[in-house]
Amino acid sequence: MQDTDLIQLWKSYDKKLEENLAINRQNTFEITKLKLKSHLVSMKPLKMFTIILGILWVIFLDSLIVVLFHFASPFLLISAGLVSLLNKLAIGIYIYQMALISEVNIDAPVISTQDKLARLKSSTIWIARILFLQIPFWTIFYWNSQMFENGNALLWTLQILITISGTYLALWLFFNIKYENKDKSWFKLLFSGAGWNPVAESIKLLEEVEDFKDER
Amino acid sequence: MVHSAEKSELFVSVIEAHKGILFKITNSYCKNAEDRKDLLQEIIIQLWKSFDRYDSHFKFSTWIYRIALNVSITYFRKANRRKQVYGAITDDILWMSEENTSNTLEIEINYLHHSISELKPLDKALMILYLEENSYKDIALIMGISETNVGTKINRIKAALKEKFSTIKTL
Repeated sequence: MQDTDLIQLWKSYDKKLEENLAINRQNTFEITKLKLKSHLVSMKPLKMFTIILGILWVIFLDSLIVVLFHFASPFLLISAGLVSLLNKLAIGIYIYQMALISEVNIDAPVISTQDKLARLKSSTIWIARILFLQIPFWTIFYWNSQMFENGNALLWTLQILITISGTYLALWLFFNIKYENKDKSWFKLLFSGAGWNPVAESIKLLEEVEDFKDER
Repeated sequence: MVHSAEKSELFVSVIEAHKGILFKITNSYCKNAEDRKDLLQEIIIQLWKSFDRYDSHFKFSTWIYRIALNVSITYFRKANRRKQVYGAITDDILWMSEENTSNTLEIEINYLHHSISELKPLDKALMILYLEENSYKDIALIMGISETNVGTKINRIKAALKEKFSTIKTL
């Protein structure tokens, strides 16, 4: 098949379109009258729900710290404080990313627009990295003075083992959840849910963008 | 300042003059008729939203290609969200009369479409621009890569497309 054959075939399709394609002017005109809502209002309910849930969770943790400040063990207060801080960071990054995505110029050249969007969307994995850092705090928040006074060797061996494993896992995930590991089976397993599909698609598109930028 | 009614009229005329581009792009990125309708509506909404920013240094077609391709590649999965925001327009914006695939030419056109639909999103964009006989300079402007790169990539994609086309034909 010659190049001209491909173009000729496409042209015959063009001809067919010219004969048969019609535009509904009224419907197109209607679009110009639609009131376009802000990005925040247009946000998917599930995303909005996730943010609200996150904010409520942070408020709960902060309230807990304030209410129990004079009674609770320092482990609970410190754990709750740091979990709250990590969640605040994650919520902040999520909202900031969505705001940046909404501001990307859709009328800019295809490669630069897709590059920006894919980078922003795939950087959502930063949220996962930050949230995984809270694992160790979930293994110490219940420590209290009674445990120190009455706990036996077995309890403390088990407890230290859990905390060290949790810390190792959190740090390992924090340093290894990155674009370079996208083909590893654990990475695919971790980011296989429907919620992560846009991220996976963005990573795939980013590869294609990189390939396009390559002049070879 | 252009009156809003005049602006709407101008916009509708631009869309009408370039309806073929819109149909071909949506058809290449969406096989399902319902999804195609959603995608087309999303493209027209995005075109309208950026109509004020249109830079007259570029041709209308360059502006339309950029937005239509960017929306097709990126925004399509947000089609459901768009329905909630703008409310659905139930009737078609563009429509084709009944398709008849009885003759060889039509079958070959379908083969070509099928081959294009199997390309990766950015390869597909480049191939559509090439088949539309845009100059390398225009393609470079739309895609945002150098003319040399356009040539290199087109040669590579063309080879892949021809192979797909031949495979489909022999099936």
